[in-house]
Amino acid sequence: MNTRTVKSKVIVYIILSVLAIGMVIPFFWMVLASFKNSNEVFSIPMKILPTVWHFENYQTIWEKIPLLTFFKNTAKLTVITTVIQVFTSCFAAYGFAKVKFKGRDMLFVIYVTTIAVPWQVYMVPQFALMSKIHLTNSHLGLILMQAFSAFGVFLMRQFMMGIPDELLEAARIDGLTEYGIFARIALPLAKPGIATLIIFTFVNIWNDFMGPMIYLNSTELKTIQLGIRMFISQYGADYALIMAASVCSLIPVLAIFIICQKWFVEGITAGGVKG
Amino acid sequence: MKKRQFTALTLTAAMTAVSLAGCGGSQPAETTKASATDGAATEAPAADGAATEAPAADGEKTKLTVSVWDNASSPQFQAVADAFMAKNPNVEVELIDTQADEYNNKITVMLAGGAADPDVIMVKEADTQVGMKEKNQLLDLTSYIEKDGIDLSVYGGAAEQLQMDGKQYTLPFRRDWYTLFYNKDLFDAAGVEYPSDDMTWDEYEALAKQMTSGEGSAKVYGSHNHTWMALVANWALQDGKNTLLSEDYSFLKPAYEQALRMQDEGVVQSYANLKTGSIHYISTFEQQQCAMVPMGTWFIATLIQDKKDGKFDFNWGVTKIPHPEGVEAGSTVGSVTPIAINAKTDVPDLAWEFVKFATSEEGALILAENNVFPAISSDAINEKLASVVGFPEDGETALEVKNFVFDRPLDSKMPSVRKVIEEEHDLIMIGEEDIDTGIANMNERAKEAMAE
Amino acid sequence: MNSRKCKELRTNLIGYSFIIPNFIGYFVFIFIPVCFSFVLSVMKWDGSDVPMQFVGLANFTKLFGDSTFIISLQNTLWYAAFTVPLTLVASLLIAVLLNSKIKGMVVYRTMFFFPYVASLVAVGAVWNMLFQPEFGPINEFLKFIGIANPPKWCASTEWAMWVIIIVSVWKYMGYYMVVYLAALQGISADLYEAASIDGATGLKKLWYITIPMLTPTTFFVVIMLTIQCFKVFDLIYVMTGGGPGRATNVLVNHIYNAAFVDFKFGYASASALVLFAIVLVVTLIQMRGEQKFTDFV
Repeated sequence: MNTRTVKSKVIVYIILSVLAIGMVIPFFWMVLASFKNSNEVFSIPMKILPTVWHFENYQTIWEKIPLLTFFKNTAKLTVITTVIQVFTSCFAAYGFAKVKFKGRDMLFVIYVTTIAVPWQVYMVPQFALMSKIHLTNSHLGLILMQAFSAFGVFLMRQFMMGIPDELLEAARIDGLTEYGIFARIALPLAKPGIATLIIFTFVNIWNDFMGPMIYLNSTELKTIQLGIRMFISQYGADYALIMAASVCSLIPVLAIFIICQKWFVEGITAGGVKG
Repeated sequence: MKKRQFTALTLTAAMTAVSLAGCGGSQPAETTKASATDGAATEAPAADGAATEAPAADGEKTKLTVSVWDNASSPQFQAVADAFMAKNPNVEVELIDTQADEYNNKITVMLAGGAADPDVIMVKEADTQVGMKEKNQLLDLTSYIEKDGIDLSVYGGAAEQLQMDGKQYTLPFRRDWYTLFYNKDLFDAAGVEYPSDDMTWDEYEALAKQMTSGEGSAKVYGSHNHTWMALVANWALQDGKNTLLSEDYSFLKPAYEQALRMQDEGVVQSYANLKTGSIHYISTFEQQQCAMVPMGTWFIATLIQDKKDGKFDFNWGVTKIPHPEGVEAGSTVGSVTPIAINAKTDVPDLAWEFVKFATSEEGALILAENNVFPAISSDAINEKLASVVGFPEDGETALEVKNFVFDRPLDSKMPSVRKVIEEEHDLIMIGEEDIDTGIANMNERAKEAMAE
Repeated sequence: MNSRKCKELRTNLIGYSFIIPNFIGYFVFIFIPVCFSFVLSVMKWDGSDVPMQFVGLANFTKLFGDSTFIISLQNTLWYAAFTVPLTLVASLLIAVLLNSKIKGMVVYRTMFFFPYVASLVAVGAVWNMLFQPEFGPINEFLKFIGIANPPKWCASTEWAMWVIIIVSVWKYMGYYMVVYLAALQGISADLYEAASIDGATGLKKLWYITIPMLTPTTFFVVIMLTIQCFKVFDLIYVMTGGGPGRATNVLVNHIYNAAFVDFKFGYASASALVLFAIVLVVTLIQMRGEQKFTDFV
């Protein structure tokens, strides 16, 4: 019996390790390629390790395109959008989940249906609107168009729904206002949800390239994804450099994920199951 | 009581908003649309007034935006902008840079959105100007041209070719045509004579075969066919008898047969490889993986620049593009890069000044200094082009054009039809479709695309 | 009576005050453009100042005579038909393995999850290189293990969609794995103990306890995956651009091209509405299902 469990444990470890390695092979390959000489990336027969480690690739990319500016812009956009998204979504979600007001359900249905519309569909009317109010080619415009997604409200509502009504009722009896309840009870309880929304928004904004591509004109406003796309189109064959730039762009997301992952997993637990 | 009244009022306001939102929304959307167009209509004249004033104000610089693509690898845009700014110290020219493959989409969104930027539009594919004009997105330059007495004959007919409904919405900025580039060092090493300036496509193919050598990663291909549809189809257009807007594309067949043959014989790299690896022709040529490459004149600037920057170190040459049997040498296919003004620009007069400058002989000389081929051709400019340091001394022959055929007709249907042909081109070149099927599909689908 | 009404008004106002900060932004920047695009579906508009024309259902009737639309619809269905089950099975399998109280769970979880947060632009570039038909590492490997003629992947109409499917599964299964993992931890240990007493083995437990207990989660995953699959665009745009030919052209590609190559904004909106209708049906099924399965949770 005991040996059987040990055996099955070993099998589980083996399967998991093989799969996990499979998952990260592209990233390994990416990192290794980023240290190679561009010709070596596709040499036949395949070389796994670079013959000479070209650490200078990481230096070169900063010289070729204004990566630092791109990083700053992306960070700024991502942080501000995420903050607005999280705050307004939590507010609205509490309203939808815990306050009964007229027209609530209809409003919510409207929110939900727009989630299903792909952005490419309303991109042009949206741009027309933005340009009428002179918000194109500015970070503000990009922030405003991305900070009020219906998905954020939908997600946070799922979390707020999970908060027991009895808890809120008790607080009301204690004399707390709705805003007090929101701030002192609902918000702390929705922490996993907030973490989830932070990751979602962060990942989406950080990785978005179509939005910035359409909205930003000046080079000094552009983002890291645009930078990489620019790199790919201009240095089409400098595979090593493309990989180095890509690696750089992945690091911040990885960091955020590792920091937030505890909450995040809790978040998906609470939000995901209830859908 | 008072409080209740207030509450009721706010509530009504909120309710109205909600019910508006609830009723499907066609109403709010339509009203915005209506007011949006109204706004544009009233806004335009006011903006005009501001524009004429603005340049006069000193201290404050007037901003002019110009949309360009791949700015980092095409220095000519910046050079023209700099020269213009030097002449007009009150003006700041900002280049809106987008990567080439995203450029047309971005311009479409900006113009459809009614943005005032960019003031000046570089039209990457001349056929897209028709769509812009039909959508009233371009400023008619005719009156400006008359007022300033611009002589259109200097463009050698190109300006007239860009006219739409007898009006000049754009002026030619650059003119490029296809030539044949080759690696002199590889030819020397093989002891083969350089490609002549009067070669048929069959002779070119034989030469490419002769120049192919080596195996594996050391293989040197005789020539290089980049993945563009133009690099097959254009050779079928060289005789000027057909255009890419056609009812029957069977005239493309010989060109496809040759392209596939060269690919199968390993004389050029396979299309599938180039496409999936997004391999750039610049690197293939500069890393000496091919002995020849048919490419547009814009490649000259890149080669001169890259050699100067030490990216490669061999001698290159350029000569006339090969021609089909029975067509005169020097017949080539090419395109014009038009320059236009956004109808919604807030500085139309200034934009015109820029366009005038960029398309003038003065602007042309700046382009020539940057090894870029301006639309104006004159002896002075050709001399300048040929005398640039780094231009091959025997390359002047490539600059003589006997017969210039536009790669695509100016027609509003062309972009849709081009997409169809490109998709079929893709399938033919990776060998998923034989040539006849591909051409039959082109015929059918182009008809569908043109029907609208 | 009066005071009740007053209280109701107060609650209403409080409700609105919570919604309003988000609603203003949402209404202006999302709702209005979305509505506008729906209105467009019965219009003919080329994106110009020229007033649009009402054309009724003409855009919709045209859709079904358009070979590219039909192909995109088929491709989208094909893509969804494989991506949904493959992602589902992969994420479930890994979640079950991870749930068996192993050491280093966090490390594994991070490894599985990482593709989900990685940028598509970067990931697309890497996979394109890995799948390079002539000298890409994947085909090198296939040749090494004795497959003389490995597929040409993105350069073949037959295989290009498979590349997209493989990359999609790879990229998105991490997310659903975490969803499953969460659900698994919610299953009471008593059930398994009881089963052990009855002599059930690991696989039997999986089949008779785990999978049935996960039904509501599976339902959620299927719906989310389906919606996501119907909205797929960026990955294809980055990797194949819809090619070769039209082999990986999906609905959103079609919408995008109708708008940006052909300037038929009305027609593009009509295609979008079809997509929207599909997604809506799926969402409604989910809502019904959610009610039905609440007993399970």
